[in-house]
Amino acid sequence: MALYELENIRHHYNGTPVLSIDRFRVAENSVTGLCGPNGSGKTTLLSLLGLISPPAAGFIYFRGHRARPYDGQIRNKVALLPQQSFLLKRSVYQNVAYGLRIRKNTDNESGQVAHALSLVGLNPEKFAGRPWYALSGGEARRVAMAARLALRPEVLLLDEPTTSVDAASAQLMREAAAEAHLQWNTSLIIASHDMQWLQGICHDLVYLFSGTILGKGKKTIVFGPWQHTSGGGAIRTLADGQVLAAENAPKDLTGTAAILDPDDMSLHASPDDTGAKKNTLKGRIVCLDMEQHTGFIRVLVLAGRSEFCLYLDAQTLSARNWQPGSEVWLAYRPDRIEWKAPGLQ
Amino acid sequence: MDFILQGTAQALELLFSGDPETYSAVAATLTVSSYAMAASLAMGIPLGFALGHLEFAGKRQMRLVVDTLLSLPTVFIGLLVYAFVSRQGPLGEMGLLFTLPGIAMGQTILALPIVIALSATAIENTDAGLRTTLLSLGAGRRHLVTGTLWEARHAILAAALTAYGRVMTEVGISMMVGGNIKWHTRTITTAIALETGKGQFATGIALGLVLLAIAFGVNAGVSFLRRK
Repeated sequence: MALYELENIRHHYNGTPVLSIDRFRVAENSVTGLCGPNGSGKTTLLSLLGLISPPAAGFIYFRGHRARPYDGQIRNKVALLPQQSFLLKRSVYQNVAYGLRIRKNTDNESGQVAHALSLVGLNPEKFAGRPWYALSGGEARRVAMAARLALRPEVLLLDEPTTSVDAASAQLMREAAAEAHLQWNTSLIIASHDMQWLQGICHDLVYLFSGTILGKGKKTIVFGPWQHTSGGGAIRTLADGQVLAAENAPKDLTGTAAILDPDDMSLHASPDDTGAKKNTLKGRIVCLDMEQHTGFIRVLVLAGRSEFCLYLDAQTLSARNWQPGSEVWLAYRPDRIEWKAPGLQ
Repeated sequence: MDFILQGTAQALELLFSGDPETYSAVAATLTVSSYAMAASLAMGIPLGFALGHLEFAGKRQMRLVVDTLLSLPTVFIGLLVYAFVSRQGPLGEMGLLFTLPGIAMGQTILALPIVIALSATAIENTDAGLRTTLLSLGAGRRHLVTGTLWEARHAILAAALTAYGRVMTEVGISMMVGGNIKWHTRTITTAIALETGKGQFATGIALGLVLLAIAFGVNAGVSFLRRK
């Protein structure tokens, strides 16, 4: 049975549609990553999964049961760390203990609070008595995380947990999340721009764009300005003068973005071995990350200030001796480029 | 100037000697203001929370009415309550005219819009992240209300203080509904008005000092609670 199943979810703010998901499924005891640009609907989706607000339309099922707003039974199993870590105007101890108290889980409360603070690298003796205003941004974020970890939730929803914190705090947050998954089998759903982390920890990586799920894995999005060509296609001139060509362009290209699937791209050492039917772009490898779950290497190629993402297996990468900085030729299929209109239609 | 200094000296003598007439007015004031504050807070905080937290049709219009009622003149409230509790009024049979509960009723009407309006503002001004945080930690409806009120506690205390200040210092309601009856419904403010008219500055100043002392005591108590 799935942990979450979403059906025909539609959501809007003040009449502006922000989320449109026909089907979405999250497996039990899994780690799911949500990635996508700002405004793609990640926060809204987490808010719906955390039952913070009900969808305008559609159904959310939690372990097969239809979830309703304020459903106490489900909400006691789920905890959400919002993007803005807001602390209650109380001491650190009171902040961490708050959730335990309202869930009436107060056995060895001080021990639970101390353990949660330790998980995020905060010394309980030093921090428990501090008021909320005597914390740095990173400490406040970690206290907010500790308040969720203290609940030992079955589902932990993390909304960009590593943003606005220093590298050390971010690492502690990442370790705490991994610890929750390993120790208590907590299912994690993480929205983040930290692709390296997501690649490392997630079983599933879901890509959102403009309120819809584009699919699993990282897609490459190329924003305009796009210009129509005589054959019904469109071109986008990149910053270095290279041209990205696409077929089957929509009539109105205003604000439209092109989406390239990693499966429709390949990397080559020279333009001669890219295949006659493919278009090519010259670029440089800027980043290599291993997707721990699959063993594939995510390769980021920079061409004319646009980033292209594709996946290679370790053997291919090793045989080609490609490293960050290596010059490569990126081949793509103009006929397989998809188009995404700005905002939800 | 001499008569003011003389009056102040006599006032202190009246206070320290435990003058029964002075302390009768003090007791009446504390009694009615306590009743009025208890009633206005009990009704005003939930209504203020609803006005500040909930979205409903006519909310703006309701807010406009509540804000307008902040300017209610005390003599008008006195007149209104008098009309209701006088013998021929709809509440005449309750015998509230010239009684402390009658004055408390009027003072509740005076304090209620202040508590509602300032509590609503306090709730509206709570951080947008508060609701999400409370819900994300598992709060249900009850905890959402209590948690929000607790977070806004300083501003709600300020609302209560503002209302208390208005109730303590009003004259119109106490005079019209209470009738300023010695040993019975004479409050500090009506006594000051009467004694000043009679040229008894000492009693007036003594009562004024008590009023200030009460205000100081209440503010000191609230300040202590805030630090806690």
